[in-house]
Amino acid sequence: MTHTTTHSDHDYEQVIGEKLNDAQLRTNLRSAMDTLIHKRKDLLEDRYPEWEQLRTMGQNAKLKVLSQLDSYVQKFEENATKNGFVVHYANTAKDANEIIYNLAKERGVERILKGKSMASEEIGLNQYMKEKGIVAKETDLGELIIQLIDEHPVHIVVPAIHKNRHQVGKIFQEKLGAPLESEPEKLNGIARKHMRGEFEGFKMGISGVNFAIANEGAIWLVENEGNGRMCTTACDIHVAICGIEKMVESFEDASILNNLLCPSAVGVQITCYQNIITGPRQEGELDGPKEAHIILLDHNRSNILADEKYYKALSCIRCGTCLNHCPVYDKIGGHAYLATYPGPIGVVITPQLFGLDNYAHIANLCSLCGRCGEVCPVKIPLPELIRDLRAEKTHEGRGVVRGYKDTKHSKLEELGMKAFAKLASNGTLWRAAMAMSSTFAPLGKVFGHYTPVLKKWLRYREMPKVQGSLHAEVKKLPGVIYE
Amino acid sequence: MRVYFFATCLGEAVFSQTALNCIKLLQREGVEVIFKKDQTCCGQPSYNSGYYEQTREIVLHNVRLFKEDHPIIVPSGSCVGMMAHDYLELFEGHKAYEEVKNFSLRVYELAEFLDKKLEVRYTDLGAPIKVTWHSNCHALRVSKVIESAKKIISQLSNVELVPLQREEECCGFGGTFAVKEPEISNAMVQEKIHDIESRQVEYVLSADAGCLLNISGAMAKVRSKTKSMHFYDFLAQRVGLGV
Ligand code: SF4
Repeated sequence: MTHTTTHSDHDYEQVIGEKLNDAQLRTNLRSAMDTLIHKRKDLLEDRYPEWEQLRTMGQNAKLKVLSQLDSYVQKFEENATKNGFVVHYANTAKDANEIIYNLAKERGVERILKGKSMASEEIGLNQYMKEKGIVAKETDLGELIIQLIDEHPVHIVVPAIHKNRHQVGKIFQEKLGAPLESEPEKLNGIARKHMRGEFEGFKMGISGVNFAIANEGAIWLVENEGNGRMCTTACDIHVAICGIEKMVESFEDASILNNLLCPSAVGVQITCYQNIITGPRQEGELDGPKEAHIILLDHNRSNILADEKYYKALSCIRCGTCLNHCPVYDKIGGHAYLATYPGPIGVVITPQLFGLDNYAHIANLCSLCGRCGEVCPVKIPLPELIRDLRAEKTHEGRGVVRGYKDTKHSKLEELGMKAFAKLASNGTLWRAAMAMSSTFAPLGKVFGHYTPVLKKWLRYREMPKVQGSLHAEVKKLPGVIYE
Repeated sequence: MRVYFFATCLGEAVFSQTALNCIKLLQREGVEVIFKKDQTCCGQPSYNSGYYEQTREIVLHNVRLFKEDHPIIVPSGSCVGMMAHDYLELFEGHKAYEEVKNFSLRVYELAEFLDKKLEVRYTDLGAPIKVTWHSNCHALRVSKVIESAKKIISQLSNVELVPLQREEECCGFGGTFAVKEPEISNAMVQEKIHDIESRQVEYVLSADAGCLLNISGAMAKVRSKTKSMHFYDFLAQRVGLGV
């Protein structure tokens, strides 16, 4: 997947068709999503009577920072520097990759170990390093699985959720030469043994950041396997990639968000490892990296921040629950979005990060059912933002999303909608159209001249029966004022 | 009491019998119904496709048509979500905002109106029956009127309501979504049908024409044994109105 190519409607149709027909994928996704949904629901019912208040607090904590992001970033930089971090700014994906590459090159590092980081996916770090002759190895179990088969994460929290344990066993057998297993404990054992070997004597570790705490100049990393702790402490050089929107003001705010993150992501109160990192190894300390770097990544986030509505999307804490609850995501899986970030939040931010012209089709991948907005722990109005994205495509929005000017959208649809609006704002025309389109009134009316529509509808559904003229019947009803 | 009745575009085109039953349900409570002949559609198809300018024209048509200070009764939680909530969003910062707001505040979904404003008490006249229920997404999450419909069902003593396992999951209609992404939409509705059939009930009910058009159309195509019915047709029958 490259981010600069335009993904045509045809590409999408093809990949969506493929995924929908992949019975194994569909079964795996369905059962995984059901588990995640139920674990979250049960936990919230049992333990979080004040979830709604917590959501509001989390939302406020993020919006407060976003309203003055510049100054919080600056404060973070000052405090982090005091703590001994080296803070870098990366405007583009390329900048970020170059910083990491140069750090590695200067220190003669040929192998980098990575903890889970969606930002590193966003910038295409692994590919970049590969081209430069440096191996970037994933250490997160899910990431490891998909790296072995040369895939991208299918989900932002659980990257290999589309594979079941039997499939994982096969992958380990084929790629790691392990005996064929399917028990989770045994699979974990295989991965652990493999990773232990990798961690031996490694020099440079990469991580993401969950919360960057401005008041303290510290970063907070949430994980479940301990590999993140290894990547950030057992090396000589630790580099954290941090989207600038990860900023929070204080530990208190980070704690609130952490309390929203873990239940939303995997239905637990807290994960096994919570790493709070305040800088490199200090004098007299026994472990920790000799150097600690933080890359503050913009990559078009400033554009998002500048818009009156889209800026809310930067509140995202990447919990993934909007994906878990999305009726489109659970049918097609993350790869069908042809983007780093899939699901509802992916639909919202992908065009902003990579251009709407490159991702015109992605705005269609939503039925506007509203479930994502209902579950989002920081109350991002995802459905509204997706609808606005469609308005960007039709040039009736605010004209703020990158690449909207060159975005293709259906002229046929535009004609249909214009005709529809004309009819729907004039009673006489409307009644005439209703009378005329007696064969298939609702869709005929809704889509005007957008004729292929009928065929698409009838592919999976019978024609509805038209029940005749409502007006004539209403007039006959005693007592109704027909005016 | 006088109310406006807004049949919705699907009520006018396909569910006209349902629209008539809705009017009768209102009249049964002594409410006087005004039916504006120039009524059209709430504008959701163009709105959800991102045609905001076009949609504003439709909104203003409606706002000016239903201008007297009567409640506007709509038999669709989805259209109510649009008219009571999305209209305001669409007109935020616009000079007609107050006018639109005055309209939006008067919009009620029928079950909501029957339950909350008229506080109906029904006696069930039908034979014992098992049904299940599909919640329309916008009725559930935007206009939030599902509770009223369920409260009314609970008054029907011979009706056993068997919940769906995936009641709150979208059926895949989503207006234009169903034709823009027909394959995904089909995958969604098939999951819904599967759920419905596994409940072993006589009917699946929903108070939304769009979902029903989708679910019943797809059920007919796969020759499902379960039947579908609009909630207001069902209700009218149970209380001795309707046909
Ligand atoms: S948008 Fe909300 S629900 Fe989705 S990943 Fe971000 S925080 Fe979680």
